[in-house]
Amino acid sequence: MKKVSSLSELGFADDIHRTLFRPIQQAAPPSPTQRRTKISVIGAGNVGMAIAQTILTQDLTDELALVDAKPDKLQGEMLDLQHAAAFLPRTRILASPDYAVTANSDICIITAGARQIPGETRLNLLQRNLALFKEIVPPLARYSPGTLLLVVSNPVDVLTYIAWKLSGFPPNRVIGTGTNLDSSRFRFLLADHLEVNAQDVQAYMVGEHGDSSVALWSSMSVGGVPILSQLTNDKAVVEQGVLEKIRKAVVESAYEVIRLKGYTSWAIGYSAANLARSLLRDQHRIHPVSLLAKGFYGIPDDREVFLSLPAQLGRSGVLSVANIHLTDEEAARLRRSANTLWELQQKLDL
Amino acid sequence: MKKASSLSELGLANDVHHALFRPIQEAAPPSPTKRHTKISVVGAGNVGMAIAQTILTQHLADELALVDAKPDMLRGEMLDLQHAAAFLPHTRILASPDYSVTARSDICIITAGARQLPGETRLSLLQRNLALFKQIVPPVAKYSPGALLLVVSNPVDVLTYIAWKLSGFPPNRVIGSGTNLDSSRFKFLLAEHLVVNAQDVQAYMVGEHGDSSVALWSSISVGGVPILSQLTKDKAAMEQGVLERIRKAVVESAYEVIRLKGYTSWAIGYSVASLARSLLRDQHRIHPVSLLAKGFYGIPEDQEVFLSLPAQLGRSGVLSVANIQLSEEEAARLRRSADTLWELQRQLEI
Repeated sequence: MKKVSSLSELGFADDIHRTLFRPIQQAAPPSPTQRRTKISVIGAGNVGMAIAQTILTQDLTDELALVDAKPDKLQGEMLDLQHAAAFLPRTRILASPDYAVTANSDICIITAGARQIPGETRLNLLQRNLALFKEIVPPLARYSPGTLLLVVSNPVDVLTYIAWKLSGFPPNRVIGTGTNLDSSRFRFLLADHLEVNAQDVQAYMVGEHGDSSVALWSSMSVGGVPILSQLTNDKAVVEQGVLEKIRKAVVESAYEVIRLKGYTSWAIGYSAANLARSLLRDQHRIHPVSLLAKGFYGIPDDREVFLSLPAQLGRSGVLSVANIHLTDEEAARLRRSANTLWELQQKLDL
Repeated sequence: MKKASSLSELGLANDVHHALFRPIQEAAPPSPTKRHTKISVVGAGNVGMAIAQTILTQHLADELALVDAKPDMLRGEMLDLQHAAAFLPHTRILASPDYSVTARSDICIITAGARQLPGETRLSLLQRNLALFKQIVPPVAKYSPGALLLVVSNPVDVLTYIAWKLSGFPPNRVIGSGTNLDSSRFKFLLAEHLVVNAQDVQAYMVGEHGDSSVALWSSISVGGVPILSQLTKDKAAMEQGVLERIRKAVVESAYEVIRLKGYTSWAIGYSVASLARSLLRDQHRIHPVSLLAKGFYGIPEDQEVFLSLPAQLGRSGVLSVANIQLSEEEAARLRRSADTLWELQRQLEI
């Protein structure tokens, strides 16, 4: 993209660098295979930019590429990030509507997606997003055949399945942000109530990122200590279905933010950057993310559904799925989530 | 503010914390004077939220308070930040349209301000912002009588003067973000052209944050080495007023971002967070910021204008102003900047 404010265009000579600096004698030319980490973000809207900015602030990558269909908005966002150069470690920032700018990425993060029109069916929204992903995923896969794909767009579970199909990648390299953020909201609510640090709360939401998500109450712990029995000591909690009310509040909290400020951005930004770090830096950390769930927790081997399970993430993507003990009810809910998603996927023309 | 999704309201008992944790024997109660850093941001728009989010990511404060006149949007922004609890060090986040939420802040950052209407004179815009600051500054000063005030709203120099007058604070505690970001944009352009890291470029823009800003060409250095003579070796470049075109490009680049994406946010977010860090952590770093400039560089003692000069910042605000050698032209431009601002200020009814 044309750099409107380049100093060469304004009249500065191009060779000043050579008069200011000289290499040492007999230095070898730069190695052509020098390793630089690169993350691409598709979609420069509120979510994409919050993710890009968080990745930049946390110094996660050497190179950051942005893609969007709106070239002016994209150029503006790129400049706004570049202007912070004096305050940040040096990261090369590129932007283009052309997917060539994403070439050789370590991670491609897809945030682009159609929003639900009032009264639109879920299937219809999915068909529209399927059409969009058919434009996005094949070029991404072509320009970065070894990349990890991280899908954020909603409905994330089915869109991650779609991205997997369209990319031709092995399933360990295609991940959806899934319930990573729901789990953070869950932990925030619990931590606030129990007066502890959220990072000391172990509490997973799994399954569908949406209305049929599953809260794993039986494996919740604080500082390593299981606490469900403490919470349900109070008979009123059990009788009034308090736990289910809390699960619904977590699902509802995304809609609440959208209702209040029009969209969500900051939390999903941190959530995606957190996943990017675990992947890129081979952290082997466990995150609840949307992945190919067939064969786990009683989900049939022929059900190619993506939904969130706690998984170990590293440089090659999903390393493994954690083997957590589920109650009968939790397992049943998970299988119901899988059925719902499977039915929906069957209706798509991929 | 009422916590709508608090788990107490959903039915969980209030005393679960006591069942999970017990203090050690004979522990003293928490000290009432425990030191707790707090930053307040007034205005939860694009600029205020980019600042808040960067401060949060960089873990600059223990407590962050947000104020805005629009309670729904404010609450949505607060929730969106809180939902990232699992990914961030614990920071207490508060939000209210009531200024009492800012009490006992170490730094209060003011981003609220009216935008220029098409065809509106600068004086008229200033009068409207003066009216707004009359609502903002006195309560902020009342609730945090020892705070540092950091003004970001534009036109920043005159608004910082206004904030100083309305607060009754000593001038070292009232600072405007001024040309801190212009200098970053200046460094970015130079660094790109010279193929160096922007943090190795020493280059100040001072004076008015706006059309009459002053680029201190004579004191630009790279890696500690003055480079103006290298830049101006090309006589043709000098004759064509290249340096002035570059200064204008820096001033213009803010408008370019606004034209492309509608507003600026990320760069000013990093810029202000950088100032907040130098202040709160007593870094004694030099930043070009808008301050009471009377008596410096030939600006008359009776001209109480705020404009940007390179200043050492620390926990008590402006510690000192750097004594940089200016060329005669640079000094003359600075005094013209001061005159312009002084004339404008005299027309205001504070």
